[in-house]
Amino acid sequence: MSKLPRLIAGFLACVSFVSCQSQEEIKRERYITEGILVYKANCANCHQTKGEGLAALYPPIANSDYLVNKNKVICLIRYGQQGRIIVNGNQYNRPMPAHPQLSDLEVAEVVTYIYNQWGNEKKVTDVKMVAPVLEQCRTELNGPVTN
Amino acid sequence: MLKQKLIPVLNKPVSFWVRNKQWLVFSGLLALLWACGGADSDRLPILGQREAVTKTVDGKQVTDSVYQTIPDFAFVSQYGDTVTAKNLDNKIYVADFFFTSCPTICPKMKVQLKRVYEKFKGNPDVMLLSHTIDPAHDSVAVLHEFAQNLGVTGRQWLFVTGDRDKIYDLGQKSYMVTAQADSTAPGGVIHSGAFILVDRDKHIRGIYDGTTEEGVDKLMTDMDRLLAEPKSVASKS
Repeated sequence: MSKLPRLIAGFLACVSFVSCQSQEEIKRERYITEGILVYKANCANCHQTKGEGLAALYPPIANSDYLVNKNKVICLIRYGQQGRIIVNGNQYNRPMPAHPQLSDLEVAEVVTYIYNQWGNEKKVTDVKMVAPVLEQCRTELNGPVTN
Repeated sequence: MLKQKLIPVLNKPVSFWVRNKQWLVFSGLLALLWACGGADSDRLPILGQREAVTKTVDGKQVTDSVYQTIPDFAFVSQYGDTVTAKNLDNKIYVADFFFTSCPTICPKMKVQLKRVYEKFKGNPDVMLLSHTIDPAHDSVAVLHEFAQNLGVTGRQWLFVTGDRDKIYDLGQKSYMVTAQADSTAPGGVIHSGAFILVDRDKHIRGIYDGTTEEGVDKLMTDMDRLLAEPKSVASKS
């Protein structure tokens, strides 16, 4: 008589356990899916769809040793990049435009995509991690807020 | 039994078709192509405005069409020397408009034009002509570095700069593309992503989407067709 409710409870517990386990995975996939769109719309023109860059004009992102500087990567996506940089031993000297229109979440999504695709990562770079890094860079670039 | 008997009987007429099937189908298709193709339809059309000019020749009225042509110009290449329409005489060429700091469609266009460059590299009948539409920034030195970084050497692909209004004017009136300053556009200039194919008589023979692989595949096919057109007829003037 009391078997059915117990079965249902057991089933629900099971479902919630499984879904909890893959919560992180679902989030990762969501970030990557959105990140691909952000990448195509804002990065792929120069860095190419496969991240290989373009000759000596634009550096590669795929297999790039520059990816170790994740905080720098996060900031240059939003604020651009000026001057010479060395990527995989090659010198590049072409300004990268800023993308002030990208939200913190969009930056986090595209960073997640880039690092999962080309940086040997299998995890989310959460917006909660990205936001303070961006804030830090903003104050460094603009100087401390004085008022 | 019956079958076996029948086969040798049928063998003759069948085998003619079977043995020559491929050849027959091939020549049939060829004939079809010939019939549909006609003499002139393989030629690319001449684009742009045309004017009917009526003259009197030997007492008879003769109407001739005069096609739009690219007029003479004088710009400066990435090597610092002057480039005029004369440098492109007796060559087919692809023209485009871009600027080096362009964050939007130019990199795509340059990837695609690089494919054209690689395919026709060393062909003395083919040139590429990229006009900057931001001459204030794109000096000779900037264009030189850009070309070098793109992996372009030699004089087959020229990057030219010059008077801004003259470049815009040539782009809009002669090459039929959009090129104008617009402070609201990323990079400050709006322009089209078109590649323009010009023949040995400086007539426009095709306009292609330079931002897509399909558009540029079509361009390269048409370049082959244009190169196959008889030179003597095309370049008599």
